[in-house]
Amino acid sequence: MNRVLESKRGRFSLAVIALFVFIAIFGSLLAPYDPYASSTDVLAPPSRDHLLGTTEVGSDVLSQLLVGARVSIVVGFAAAVISAVLGAAVGLIGGYFGGLTDKTFDAFENWFLVIPQLPLMVVLARLLNPSLGVLILVIGLTSWAGTGRIVRSQVLTLKERAFVERARALGASDWHIIRRHILPNALPLIFANTVLIVAVAILAEAGLSFLGLGDPSNISWGTMIENGFSAGAPSAGAWWYLIPPGLCITVLVFAIGLLGYVWEQHINPRLQEVGE
Amino acid sequence: MRRCLIALLGALLLLAAPARAQEKKVLKFGWAQDPQTLSVFLDYDEEDFRVWAINYDLLVNFSPDNLGPAPGIAESWDVSDDKKTVTFHLIKGAKWSDGEPITSKDVKFSLDVLGGNGALFTGYTDNVTSVTTPDAETVVVKTKKPDARIVGGLFLYIIPEHIWGKQSVKSLTTTYKPQMPMVGSGPYVATEFKRNRIIRMEPNPNFRGPKPKFDELQWIKYGSDDAVERALTLGEIDFITEVQPPSFERLGKTKGIKTVKAASPSFTELAFNLCSKEHCPDAKFNPAIQDKTVRQAIAFAVDRDRINEISTRNTAFTGHGILPNFYKDFYAEPEGDLDYPYDPDRAREMLDAAGWKPGDGGIRQKGDQKLSFNLYVRSESQENTQDARLVKEMAAEIGVEFKVQVVSVDKLTELTTQKTDGKPAPDFDTFIWGWGGDPYDPSTLLQLITTSQIGGSSDSFYSNPEYDRLFDEQAGEYDIEKRKPIVKRLVEISQEDLPYLVLTVDPYLQAYRTDALSGVELSCPKPNGDVYCEQVSYAPWATLGPPQPGEEGALSSSSSDDDGGSNGLLFVVIALAAVIVVLLIVLFLRRRRDDDALEV
Amino acid sequence: MSARWLAGKVLAAFLTLIFVLVFNFFLFRVMGDPTAQLARLPRATPEEIQQLRANYGLDKPLLGQFADYVGDTATLDLGISQRTRRPVWDEIGDALPWTLLLVGTGTLLATVIGTWLGIVAATRRASRTDDSLLGFSLFTYAAPEYWIGLILILLFAVAIPLFPAGLQMTPGEEFDSWIAQALDVAQHLVLPATALMLALLGQYFVIMRSSMVDVLTEDFITVKKATGLPWPKVVRRHAVRNALLPLVTLSAIYFGFVMGGIITIETIFSWPGLGLLEYDAITSKDFPMLQGAFLVFSASVILLNLLADCLYFVLDPRVQDA
Repeated sequence: MNRVLESKRGRFSLAVIALFVFIAIFGSLLAPYDPYASSTDVLAPPSRDHLLGTTEVGSDVLSQLLVGARVSIVVGFAAAVISAVLGAAVGLIGGYFGGLTDKTFDAFENWFLVIPQLPLMVVLARLLNPSLGVLILVIGLTSWAGTGRIVRSQVLTLKERAFVERARALGASDWHIIRRHILPNALPLIFANTVLIVAVAILAEAGLSFLGLGDPSNISWGTMIENGFSAGAPSAGAWWYLIPPGLCITVLVFAIGLLGYVWEQHINPRLQEVGE
Repeated sequence: MRRCLIALLGALLLLAAPARAQEKKVLKFGWAQDPQTLSVFLDYDEEDFRVWAINYDLLVNFSPDNLGPAPGIAESWDVSDDKKTVTFHLIKGAKWSDGEPITSKDVKFSLDVLGGNGALFTGYTDNVTSVTTPDAETVVVKTKKPDARIVGGLFLYIIPEHIWGKQSVKSLTTTYKPQMPMVGSGPYVATEFKRNRIIRMEPNPNFRGPKPKFDELQWIKYGSDDAVERALTLGEIDFITEVQPPSFERLGKTKGIKTVKAASPSFTELAFNLCSKEHCPDAKFNPAIQDKTVRQAIAFAVDRDRINEISTRNTAFTGHGILPNFYKDFYAEPEGDLDYPYDPDRAREMLDAAGWKPGDGGIRQKGDQKLSFNLYVRSESQENTQDARLVKEMAAEIGVEFKVQVVSVDKLTELTTQKTDGKPAPDFDTFIWGWGGDPYDPSTLLQLITTSQIGGSSDSFYSNPEYDRLFDEQAGEYDIEKRKPIVKRLVEISQEDLPYLVLTVDPYLQAYRTDALSGVELSCPKPNGDVYCEQVSYAPWATLGPPQPGEEGALSSSSSDDDGGSNGLLFVVIALAAVIVVLLIVLFLRRRRDDDALEV
Repeated sequence: MSARWLAGKVLAAFLTLIFVLVFNFFLFRVMGDPTAQLARLPRATPEEIQQLRANYGLDKPLLGQFADYVGDTATLDLGISQRTRRPVWDEIGDALPWTLLLVGTGTLLATVIGTWLGIVAATRRASRTDDSLLGFSLFTYAAPEYWIGLILILLFAVAIPLFPAGLQMTPGEEFDSWIAQALDVAQHLVLPATALMLALLGQYFVIMRSSMVDVLTEDFITVKKATGLPWPKVVRRHAVRNALLPLVTLSAIYFGFVMGGIITIETIFSWPGLGLLEYDAITSKDFPMLQGAFLVFSASVILLNLLADCLYFVLDPRVQDA
């Protein structure tokens, strides 16, 4: 972590992420208006009253932007956690125990990696009526395969290491070995990968919300873009409505991606063996 | 090489710029949704009606003055004394657009087959026991009990039996698509239907009414509503049939464009769960909602004018009861208190007098009952969601709490229609939704709160034997003067008991270019109807026509199309050429530089 | 040896396809109650629902239904779309050419430009150019593709009306010749293809760059020392061809990502392809269409992966030892 902080890029990305997390937590307090309050001032360009203009029902864009951060971040992180836990579990168990379990898991992984992600998420989200929980579940359940594969190959290497053999010789149980020896060594890898999954999850939530599969009772950046698009904001030239939410997504995902890249470069030189 | 490329592109450009001369008088409609098949058996979209209403007649048409019965395929009719038999005398010597005669065979086919199987047309002949055709010009319809809809509300298009009758019912209800031209009896018939592109209608050579003034009607499909609006402002189209509320004001202020706001038979309501233990033993709701005083107080506390102003930006109409003023003949605006004029003080007094005292957080309670209700609303409708939030705000002023729940339409349907052991078990206190009725017959809307519709379309589960009795009486009353007071009484009862608090009445919002259309007389109903009696009558096409000479502006504006087209094309060509040139230059320069060794 | 490897890949693809069929079937039967979807009309009586169930073969046991499903799919009968009442396969057939046009143009542009930028970056590794290009690619990856599309519309269709903001042809227009029509389509294709290209550019660039870097690192020093050949010849003759290999296979793998991007881009531009079909199916809850489209999406990705494997096999026999 220190090395990350040392690098300029690392500091920059952490600062941006921290900023967004802060907005996610305090957004509703910071918002100048109730994001759901409508007014007769429809699709108005930025002004002193409304720094980012208004929406097609006269709501304040800036307020929606601040409150919308919460959904994107919560879904992004929660889905990434689920994905990480699932992927790590599958990778650890399959990699360690091998045999039929491993082959089955491997087949599943292959399948999830081949199937186009967004269409799969769309189908699942549509069948289970959309809500925050459904979004988290659907994104988490479709993104674990990458982590699973990486963890598995790491486990395979670790399995043959000396300290594992020694532990086995001393009579340690499989689960003990996994928990005490393999998992801690695989953790840096899992973390590094999870960082990227967060980025993917945030993009996925935005995409699903844009397609109308987001939580109907909460505003997120994706639903803002969707509302703007459906209300004819492009033709009306309402750039203040369309650009900010997308920009927030871009900047946040960019920062996360940058963080992941820095992490890989500085923290874990061993990762470079695995190949770019 | 480069010179050849540019020459080739130039040649293509010349080929691509079409010169067009327009002598035909065309009216172009623009829309963002178009019909799927135009089959009266299969389709169930509003868009289809706009075409069908011009293509076909009904047995009895809707008059553009008041939407009352007017001659259609039947030029006159007699109702028997017991009101259970209606004899229709058909127009003589009329022909379909393909020259075949229109006879009673066509009417019988339409009533039996379309009335029995059409997606949008079942239900009208529920009470019909037989349709007989003693001769080519007479049709006799017998009903189980008197049913005034047979004359005023049989919303069944009369379609040619010699075309549709050739198909099996199975084919008609699954895959059969009408052939073009779509043979009909209206002033225009559809001659081309390219889904997602265009529908063309041309004058019916055998139309028995005044010859329509346009040579062609076009319905052009755009990708989105704002694309349609832009096309109108640019003059690419002449008419928008469904203007989006947020753009209505803006379009109205645009030079050369006129907007029209007309009443429609649809409304948005706040509905209450009034199901009795007898009908719904397992329903879930806060019992306080079934206290009439509470509902009436809520009605006084909700400022419907303000809801109309904010939610719909004044593009709709304030609601006054279950029957919108579209029903010109039967409209009975509730009087005095029954109209619930905005009066929060009165609401507070009523609740105080009934023993509802403000408790925690200002929410009134009496004993162990609290005036705290859930309010479901569909996420698909921004307006409804807006209405809900306003209702919540206003009710809070009098100590009534509404917890707004935004859910999907599926979820709301589930909550209102779920059953336990075959009996309805609705799970809600209140919700906001809407209904639309048929053009003339008030029964379609009035029946929503009858006991017989519990388990069917009643989502308030209201049950009042007096209401039911009066409803049946007016449903069978053919005499308008006798029917009106009964309808008035029904509206009064519904306002007294408030199964629905009707918030707003939906509008028809239209816009057209003043340089493209003349002879506009708002009708259906007069004087505040819409421009072309959309979905209901083809009567306006007798007067609607191209602009008079002297007003010849850009009638069909293909010239601006061309300009836009070739301008854009020119830019494409230039941009491509520029990119190619830049690439070539860069590659050329880089080649020079790379010859020097580079450190890795 | 090599033929067995290829056969293995074909078998794997086939099995994956079977699994997709099974998954698709059970997902929609189990999670989506077909009768609720079928009984669209609010006043469907219990008898009508019973009739609908019989029509759709829903009164058979599950395994029988699955057999029906497989049989139907084999004959390309993917059911009837609830929204348009036309066969799903017909709708897909109408939409597919438009998607292919858009995807083809977009990926071609992304490949060409990505390759070029990749070479530029690889030959200037760790320089400012390299860093800015990497930053740019991360930016295009982070930016939602539909947002990019909206910006393009705002800039080049609304602010400066250079290109149309949507659809594939000018509405209502008649075309005198196929050339006129083709040019009209081309004009409408520019913005959506650019949006897709930008969305893919980041990844294609990164792939090309890293494979070029690998190739250059290992080969450049050896070759240069050995032969004294001028640098650009080395790049052009040897490195590019070897680096192109991973690009081919990875393009196929990223096709899954393309499928996702297509849905949102076609929605933004009202482009009448598979993506817009999917979007309409989502909003109207048209389950037969969703099921059919998902099958087509998955099958095309599987087939393209197989194609990529075949190409790899043809281009570089060394691979199977891996």
